Amino acid sequence: MASVDLLRTLGNKYSAEILDAADEPQSAQDLSDELDIPIATCYRRIDELTEHGLLELHDSILSEDRRRIKVYRRNVESVTVDFDQSMGISVEERSEVTNKLDEAWRTLSEG
Amino acid sequence: MIELTKTGIDGLDEILNGGIVKDSTTLVSGNPGAGKSILGLQYIYNGVDMFDEKGIYLSFEENQQDLREAAESIGFDKWPEFVERGDILIYDKKQLLGENDFSSSLDMLLEDFRDSEYERLVLDSLAMFNLFFDDERERRTYLLKFSDILKENGLTTLMTNEQGAVFPKSDIGLENYLTDGNIYLLQTPTESGVKRYVWVAKMRKQDIKTDIFPMEISWGGITVHQNASEFSMMNRGDSPIE
Repeated sequence: MASVDLLRTLGNKYSAEILDAADEPQSAQDLSDELDIPIATCYRRIDELTEHGLLELHDSILSEDRRRIKVYRRNVESVTVDFDQSMGISVEERSEVTNKLDEAWRTLSEG
Repeated sequence: MIELTKTGIDGLDEILNGGIVKDSTTLVSGNPGAGKSILGLQYIYNGVDMFDEKGIYLSFEENQQDLREAAESIGFDKWPEFVERGDILIYDKKQLLGENDFSSSLDMLLEDFRDSEYERLVLDSLAMFNLFFDDERERRTYLLKFSDILKENGLTTLMTNEQGAVFPKSDIGLENYLTDGNIYLLQTPTESGVKRYVWVAKMRKQDIKTDIFPMEISWGGITVHQNASEFSMMNRGDSPIE
């Protein structure tokens, strides 16, 4: 059942923390450092969350040593679980308006 | 030396010590009817008419025709011509909220902001803009980001805001702290009619006159009078300007 899968993914250790921190685009390394997550686990969680559409690959930015670094950002505002009839999960995506302003603002700060 | 953008409004630039700081964002607050939209129209119109600076007017409140009629009703008779020539770029209620939702208009807007042709911007009103955000924290974040985007694109901006009583107990919203400048438009009924006042409460980087000055709205738009003492808020009645 898809919704149970999604809940399980969310329930995995560090998943919620990663989503919380990924308000602004972050690389796996950033997240690993900031949240003190082993890097391999961090990559695994990012893959799972991306698969479920909770996190998205936002961009590939160029690092100081000219390597491409993938940055990820949260794609959702909230996840609601409803047990009323049959269990349902609704995912509220980030609003496009905020997404677009974020995008424009990010381009600025990169100069 | 700080660069200034002149409003071209008689008396207002003097109070502002020359004009609005270039690339800044100023909040224009006041009750309905206080003259916020007129100030916005005049700022954009004068930009083209007097200073050869093109402007963008964003209105969530009115459509293209309302704006033209408002402009013409106070004597800005070249408004349609400026709009026609593209010196004034209008996004009206219909475009911002109509067939397409705001998020698709935003793409076009951001594109136009990048176009360095434009130097002035009016957003009427911030209250409507705020509706696109969920909570206070989000509104605050995105007002700051939006201001940054405008600033970086070289746009000197006025944002109108419905905000009532300033005296005696002021209910000062967060947006007043987040913007570079605060201008209040006040109106008070008297026996001889409505008296109007303007108060520039804040302008970052500028040494402004913070007294409250009388103003009037007539043919030709807003005029601000310099002799503040003569028309203090306490002074009821016989002002020669009404």
